[in-house]
Amino acid sequence: MASVVSNGALRHEKKPLGMRMRKYWGFYLMFIPVLAFVAVFHYAPMFGIRYAFYSWKVVGDPKWVGLANFEKLFKQSQFSVAFANTIVFSVVKLLLNTGLAVVISLLLNEMISLKFKKVSQTVIYLPHFMSWVVTASVFSLILSPSESGLVNQALIKLGLIDEPVYYLADKGWWRVWYYIINVWRETGWQTIIFMAMLTSIDPGIYEAASIDGAGRWKKMWYVTFPALGNTIITVLILNLAKIMNLFESVFVLQNDSVKRATNVLQTYVYYQTFNSGASADYGYTTAIGLFRSLVGLALMLICNYASKKVRGRGIV
Amino acid sequence: MKKLVALMLALVLCMSMAAISASAEEPIKITIFVDGTIPDQNNGRDQFEARWEELHPGFDLEIIQPDHSSYYDVMQQRMSNKDDWPDVLILSSTYYVDYASAGALWDMTDAWENSRTKNSGRFTGDKVFEGLKLDGRLYGFAPTRGNGCVTYVKKAWMDACGITEAPTTYDAYIEMLKAFKEQYNTAPVAAAGFVGGEAPFINYLPEFYQDAYPYFVQLEDGTWVDGFTQDSMKEALQRIQDAVKDGLIDKETLTYSTKDCRDKFYDDSFGVFTYWAGTWATNLKTNLEANGKDGELVVLKPLEGLPLYFDRVPPVWCITSTCKEPEKVFDAFIDDMLDGGDTQMLFTYGPEEVYWSTKAGTVLDEEYEEGQFHMLENLEKPGALYTKYHIDPMLSLASFADGYYDPKEESVRPEAKAASALFNENSRMAGLVPGTDELSELNGDLTILKSEIIADIALGNISVEEGYARFEDEGGLESSEAIVESLNAL
Repeated sequence: MASVVSNGALRHEKKPLGMRMRKYWGFYLMFIPVLAFVAVFHYAPMFGIRYAFYSWKVVGDPKWVGLANFEKLFKQSQFSVAFANTIVFSVVKLLLNTGLAVVISLLLNEMISLKFKKVSQTVIYLPHFMSWVVTASVFSLILSPSESGLVNQALIKLGLIDEPVYYLADKGWWRVWYYIINVWRETGWQTIIFMAMLTSIDPGIYEAASIDGAGRWKKMWYVTFPALGNTIITVLILNLAKIMNLFESVFVLQNDSVKRATNVLQTYVYYQTFNSGASADYGYTTAIGLFRSLVGLALMLICNYASKKVRGRGIV
Repeated sequence: MKKLVALMLALVLCMSMAAISASAEEPIKITIFVDGTIPDQNNGRDQFEARWEELHPGFDLEIIQPDHSSYYDVMQQRMSNKDDWPDVLILSSTYYVDYASAGALWDMTDAWENSRTKNSGRFTGDKVFEGLKLDGRLYGFAPTRGNGCVTYVKKAWMDACGITEAPTTYDAYIEMLKAFKEQYNTAPVAAAGFVGGEAPFINYLPEFYQDAYPYFVQLEDGTWVDGFTQDSMKEALQRIQDAVKDGLIDKETLTYSTKDCRDKFYDDSFGVFTYWAGTWATNLKTNLEANGKDGELVVLKPLEGLPLYFDRVPPVWCITSTCKEPEKVFDAFIDDMLDGGDTQMLFTYGPEEVYWSTKAGTVLDEEYEEGQFHMLENLEKPGALYTKYHIDPMLSLASFADGYYDPKEESVRPEAKAASALFNENSRMAGLVPGTDELSELNGDLTILKSEIIADIALGNISVEEGYARFEDEGGLESSEAIVESLNAL
């Protein structure tokens, strides 16, 4: 309901909640299953957070230990490595994927043959639908140091290396290939959002630029790229809030030789839980999870603030 | 009025009698929590349950069966609430030790000592059961051995190299590998990892590890040591490094999965494969033949002077400490599992007319006469036969009673039987390590450090001495000593 106030402006007056619920009872009824689902599967499990302050091995009563789990956590050198890796892997991956997605989008946008453009788009989207387990198997074959390893054989034929390199067993090379594999799998998918943005640019601007004497390069640099600016920042901000969720891509590519150097927080929790040779202390692993969630929350709040500044609205 | 009172009294009496009779006939309910080693409802579980109840009047069996791959996740969730504990559950060795230590399992030592199975004269698993005892007490029952790996060598490769006798010493074994390497120009041995992720850890490369063991072991005098810190382990790592360097072990062992190894074995990429005894002997043979290769395999006995193959600690059936009538549950469910008769038949070969039959008929193009035992076609995998139900007949710890027909001869292929027999004669059981706070707290990081050092030594990135220096520098030795101390303090 709207009413006119003294200065002539319209002001919306909200009806009381009860009245609105009665009026829109059908919508509220339909919302109940969603509310129940969120309450049961998202909020109820949060009560498990309390175990971060206990020592608990499933059977037997939990033993209150206060902040001891957190003290232990910060003393473990492997935890620091895992935390640093989580941040570094995620940020590098994010910058690489987003940067290359922009470049590929710009290149796709410049393609004249529509058919070739569509085929190219499909080809670069496809890896996204491959599971991480299959991706790891395929790249294990491609990177194999044996005669069947495509990369090693190609590099040897080109005279760039003399002996095959066991890339996935080398801590330095592992990281390089981790980023390459991620780019191969995810960059194509990320171009969708940029391609959508590019199609929304007013063709009149390109025409005006052409009349002003701009060539393809200048049109790309002065028209297309600035139009993408806001979208790039939005994508970066939205993805930054999720960077603590790193598990599968790392886990499937790990092996004994690189495990310690490449652990991220979630794989660290996994090994603490299933590799201890005894029932894991779920209090400790919950403490790691809680720490991860708190860092994720802090990042999300920062991103929300940044989003408000850049886009005029937050992400939550 | 009197008539009415008499009538009411008679009615009350009748109702009381009926109630008493009903309560007397109330079956004892046994809730069992099982993984996929009891086949699921798509594979005759309901018929199994019905037949078990028919054999055990007075009992009502309730089977709770989560998906096999998430069994331990679901089991732990259930065990987190004492009110939800089942009467009986299957546990792997790690959970068995922890749950027993935490008082969650019923002590079945006395029940077992007086059991029909133990005193039947048919039972052959005394050593296995000794290995399951914690502080001399028994908390779990294993109807089978845990099984383990034996080394298979391709006969065709031996023939091609003119090797007529299977090697019996390490030197002869290495000579054989060198001959294979020269003949086929490929590393003749591959495995899924230079060290396993769970006990018995070394079972995929036993000829190279020999008497070394990378985990905590109890010596004969009762003291605990970390096998990784022993000289035998250093010597084993040197052997592995040399073999990788000489091209006898495929260096991609580091990243191979068991499936990679099987596929490469089938396509002749390598010729010596240490893998599960028993049914897998048949699987390896048939898959080689399906790939157009010679399927004949020679199973190596443990090399002279070296320890026997490792028998994995079997999963065990346990009764929880909240079970209301554990003696009755033990008697009906646990003790009867190897009764030498109908119940053992049910657990071993499954329900009749679902898993097996003696009626005349044709199964997968094979004709059977009336009265001839034969396994039936798998309900979920058309084209394949069922081979067993829960108990693998080749691993069973008790034979059937005298006079009771055991269809093992008809249901088990000769190569599987031979591999299993060789393993059973030449294996020892991996020991249980009791859980301690230090083990729980430190072993996760310690195991990863040990695996990394083993991998780096195997690949020749570092020497054995450098590996052990890293172990000390990076806190491995300190953690190892703390765990050993905690084990010795028990």
